Amino acid sequence: MWQRSRFISLVLFALILVIPVGGITLAQDVVTIEWWTVNSEEYSEEVQRALVEQFNAEHPNIHVNITVLPESGFTERMTTTLGAGSGAPDVAFFWDNNWFPQALDLTAYIEADPDINPEMYFEGFWNTRAVWQDKIVGLPLGVGANFVMYNKDVFDEMGVPYPSPDWTTDEYIATAVALTDPELRRWGGDRPRGPFRAIWRNYGAFPYSDDSTTVEGFLNSDAAVAAYTWLWDLVASGATPTPADIEILGTEGTGPIDLFLAGRLAMATLNQGHVLTAVESGVNFGIVPEPQIPGNERYVNAWSLTASVWAGTAHPDEAYEWLSYWVGPEGQQFLMENGQFFPSLPTVLETHPDADEDYVQAFFQVLEHRQVAEWVNAHPCNSTVLRAAVDAWDLINLGEIERDEVEATLDSLVEPAQAALDECVGRLGG
Amino acid sequence: MSLNSSAARTNDSLVDRDRQLRRSNRTTALRRLAGNGFLYFIMVVLALIFMIPLLWMFTTSLKTRQEIFVWPPTWLPNTPQWGNYVEAFDKYPLARFMFNSAVLVMINSLGEVLSVPLIAFAFARLRFPGRKILFILMLSTMMIPGQIKLIPLFSMFSRLGMIGTYWPLVLPSFFGNPFFIFLMVQYMRTIPRDLDEAARIDGASTWVILYRIILPLSLPAVTVMLVFTFLWTWNDFISPLIYLSDFNSYPISVGLAFFQGRYSVEWNMFMAATLISIIPVLALYFFAQRHLIGGISTLGLKG
Repeated sequence: MWQRSRFISLVLFALILVIPVGGITLAQDVVTIEWWTVNSEEYSEEVQRALVEQFNAEHPNIHVNITVLPESGFTERMTTTLGAGSGAPDVAFFWDNNWFPQALDLTAYIEADPDINPEMYFEGFWNTRAVWQDKIVGLPLGVGANFVMYNKDVFDEMGVPYPSPDWTTDEYIATAVALTDPELRRWGGDRPRGPFRAIWRNYGAFPYSDDSTTVEGFLNSDAAVAAYTWLWDLVASGATPTPADIEILGTEGTGPIDLFLAGRLAMATLNQGHVLTAVESGVNFGIVPEPQIPGNERYVNAWSLTASVWAGTAHPDEAYEWLSYWVGPEGQQFLMENGQFFPSLPTVLETHPDADEDYVQAFFQVLEHRQVAEWVNAHPCNSTVLRAAVDAWDLINLGEIERDEVEATLDSLVEPAQAALDECVGRLGG
Repeated sequence: MSLNSSAARTNDSLVDRDRQLRRSNRTTALRRLAGNGFLYFIMVVLALIFMIPLLWMFTTSLKTRQEIFVWPPTWLPNTPQWGNYVEAFDKYPLARFMFNSAVLVMINSLGEVLSVPLIAFAFARLRFPGRKILFILMLSTMMIPGQIKLIPLFSMFSRLGMIGTYWPLVLPSFFGNPFFIFLMVQYMRTIPRDLDEAARIDGASTWVILYRIILPLSLPAVTVMLVFTFLWTWNDFISPLIYLSDFNSYPISVGLAFFQGRYSVEWNMFMAATLISIIPVLALYFFAQRHLIGGISTLGLKG
């Protein structure tokens, strides 16, 4: 009996020792701000921790408590805590638009803040990632964009001239074909990730009217038919990996960087996050924007991450203080100087340590193009309509329709796409 | 003479029969050997096939990033990059993550061992009002998908002030896991009641019957429970992700996810770290396989 009691006491004692209970106790006048972030190629855990230390040292009345989460689990954690209505961080990435209703409206803070104003940021990113339903729901952190990275060694080997920034979609196919080597299982280039992104927009194609009422004449417009036909030509050329190849050999849907690094993809549509990897791997590469249509306005598939204050925070003033530091000039400058990070503030971006490098210059040029996201973010039914019209994309990618059937296929999808648009507009608005 | 010759014939025939018997035995032995050899050959081939993913993991962990996706694929790296292992450990505190996982495994195992037999014994042996309803109620909790419970559980632990600690990850095990309780109940029901009655006649209390008679006889079920607890705790990603906040308190399942960046995965280092992380699981299997296989077949968990 005594032995059993002793055993239970030991177990309880061990539990008390092993399980950490409670948090950090600080002096009462210091406010603790919970900040959730991720570590990525752009800003590592160490760099972000150093930024917090710098902030904490400069702001003795605020203590920022950093929680670094893996990129692959951040969405799940945020969704859970926001869904529970408690335990969410004071400041975090709000990269999912569905979270915006729970972001604090920062309009009053920004109006009162002499150090932060919307004009400081790239206009396109401000419009797409900071403003939602006429409220300022966050600040845009960093910039990212798709561009075509090409392997110079493969071009040299095949005697193909490097692509120029003003290359066309037809030149893209011709170049991809010239670089393809079936014996080496090497493809010349990859395929777009979906329709109505940069290349579709370059053709002047939109899935439906700007006022969100009409699909007819948009989904099956001459521009859309031309874009889909270009895709058909690209697929038929055999110069690109199939969707199955990309799915199997690509990396978790983040782009075919591994095939590019292995020299099996001579041109790949990647982003700034892959640049450092390519540099570290010793790949001799260049960067050009996605191909254009001469005479048309040029677009770029670009993005930024919204950083917000949670509406349920108990310390909105201190939370904004940290947010404006992190996403303001000071924080973005720090991240840029200590990682592979491109800030969303043009004045800071100009001072990038590698600004003289060709690839950074090329990236700057890509950012000058108009953003696909401007239209997409202003039209909440975009993805619903694209889902309804996905057959055209699938059939072309699987090689199941002939070239002269592209237009008829798009015509046949107008009706279901219109129905999807009407249903969606009734639910979400135009 | 005739007798002699008859005896000689009988002797010859016995010798022949003995020879035939020996030959037959030899043939049988050879056949058995050949049969066993073939069986072993098939098993070795199958084992090698099953080992391919592990082998691929190992060789990938020694490659450079460019080598991983080259065509034609290569089994062996040009120059083994042993530094990948060092770099993986330098990049993240993997040893710390594994220690944290081990702590969680130990506490959860303890919790399950303390709670599950107790609850299972009550369902399997004791008679009390509402027993069947409670049992069905407990079983029904197994039917609720984990994702549905995620937000209510988070909300509950949040109100209890347990977010950021190990409590949400270990506390439930001290209240029994329905799956293990179900298994244990089924197993305990196969143990003859005569044993309980004999013990009771000898003056044993209910506690003594549970801890001195039923529990020792339930060792195969307990082993299965412990192995499953180990595996589930070691591999659990979502719970620690949701409840923990301190980087140094993450278990290995969360730690490994840091190798997946926003735009790409460092496959070579990821493989190196994963390979190290599965060593305890493999070791557990080697040490527990006899009990595990016995327990699994007894509990009918196969297939």
